[in-house]
Amino acid sequence: MTGAILWMAALFALRASTAQSPEKSATAPSAQSTPTNLPRLADGHPNLQGLWHNESGYRAAMKNLRGGGGLAVALGDFHSAGVPLPFPYWPITKQIQEYRDLHDPYHDPEAHCHIPGVPRETEQPSSLFPFQIIQDEKYLVILYEYAHDLRIIPLDDSAHPKGYWAWDGDSRGHWERDTLVVDVANFNGRTWLDMEANFVDENEHVVERYTMTGADTIAYSATVDDPTVFTKTWTMELELKRNPAKEQIVYYDCHEGERDVEHYPKSEGNAANPHE
Amino acid sequence: MNKRFFIILTAIFIAPAGVGPKSAPAARSDPKTVSYSPPRLADGRPDFRGIWQARETAYINIEGHRAEAGLRASPSIVVDPADGRIPYLPGALKQRDKNYERRATADPAINCFQAGVPRATFLPTPFQIFQSVGHLAIVYTDNHSYRIVLDSSIPHDDGIDFFMGDSRGHWEGDTLVVDVTDLGDQTWLDAAGNYHSDQLHVVERYTLLGPDTMKYEATLADAMVYARPWTLRLLLYRDKKPGAQIVEDECIDQADGVWHHVSPFDPKALLHHDYQAELNREKNSQ
Repeated sequence: MTGAILWMAALFALRASTAQSPEKSATAPSAQSTPTNLPRLADGHPNLQGLWHNESGYRAAMKNLRGGGGLAVALGDFHSAGVPLPFPYWPITKQIQEYRDLHDPYHDPEAHCHIPGVPRETEQPSSLFPFQIIQDEKYLVILYEYAHDLRIIPLDDSAHPKGYWAWDGDSRGHWERDTLVVDVANFNGRTWLDMEANFVDENEHVVERYTMTGADTIAYSATVDDPTVFTKTWTMELELKRNPAKEQIVYYDCHEGERDVEHYPKSEGNAANPHE
Repeated sequence: MNKRFFIILTAIFIAPAGVGPKSAPAARSDPKTVSYSPPRLADGRPDFRGIWQARETAYINIEGHRAEAGLRASPSIVVDPADGRIPYLPGALKQRDKNYERRATADPAINCFQAGVPRATFLPTPFQIFQSVGHLAIVYTDNHSYRIVLDSSIPHDDGIDFFMGDSRGHWEGDTLVVDVTDLGDQTWLDAAGNYHSDQLHVVERYTLLGPDTMKYEATLADAMVYARPWTLRLLLYRDKKPGAQIVEDECIDQADGVWHHVSPFDPKALLHHDYQAELNREKNSQ
């Protein structure tokens, strides 16, 4: 019997050595700021798998961006200025946002069950509708309950494609110590940030950071740059929390049974099609 | 325990990829294919990860179709009954024929609805399987659908219908068996009007036959529509192109009230902005 156990141990050792390449070991988790008891995959990276939701609450980040309290923190010049400022729009994009907020809520792509875009899907729907992460050494896929939205994130930090424009853009990820950094570009210029008509366009570029702060919490941040909409970059921070163990995705068939648009009366602009 | 036997058992359960045991023949497996031992995850389960797609044109009609311009004829993928015909109840067959006549407008897929199961498997667009120890999900190109295959020890989420159903998986040897319930009555099985009711119960069987081929079987039971359960079978092929990826598939609701797929590679997918013009236009339209 002892022989068999030794043989087993040898096999396990072999597996461990092949699963963890020297490069990975070099960048292996050692950041002082991260806890040591994080769940990890065989490749040494934090195991983000599971069901998560935005714990910071619906629109918490936006409120904070305007100088409110809460967990969310707005970075950048306007934060250090210490005054309650909204998104740093250019004058014309500010006019667009204010006009649509008052007169044209039907413009909201979510009213049409469209893919929410980044970072809205992590901030708004995810306070009510969780998302599932499945991960291996090559990919991290995020399956959002809301509108069966999903993002496939290759973890090779490869280049964004050319001539590709999508609602969720194109996501490429890599690990910086224990933080998953996702670079998102290739947006199609059709998404909003919230239900108050805050928006981005095709020049949006997002850098997301997912950092586990414990077995059941992720610190999430999204730094958004869009030079044709905003005068400067801004950052949204949220706490993501793991859902209770027995919970699971309840499929959200949106457009298939979607009636939201009917709730937008003509007086509020339910006439023109905003997406053409 | 006999030491030699224990070693063999150990080898079976933790053998590295590619050196695993021969899989036990499953009830419906083709005898000549059972010798393939696929790469495995750390838990010893076959590794289904990758991008897969059917080459058969069963999406047009699973009972087969004639050759058309640019399209070769396709045999039925129904393997049971042996005549390749879906064993409809008499009234249901009439409904199928009605569906066929109206297929150009009645097919739910025309509305950019999710395809349902098993139709999603043999669409002319690829799907990707994500798998890690304890997790498996299938992501389809078409209408950005996905299914999370939870373990069969977790009961089905009864009482709600979903376009892609509710999936529970277990292993029979190296075959992944997925039990799918909670499918509604608003999906079809193909573009030819073959259909089911909300009583549909699907059992899918996924078996790797080689590094780049997978056998897919689905047995459909629906006492409202079929005289008996029946089975379809087809092969799926791995997309080996470098950089292959699932691309976003979203529809846009256009002025005619109809939703249309717009490829993210189509320049029309990109909405250019002239903000002053947009503001003027919106103000004038009020």
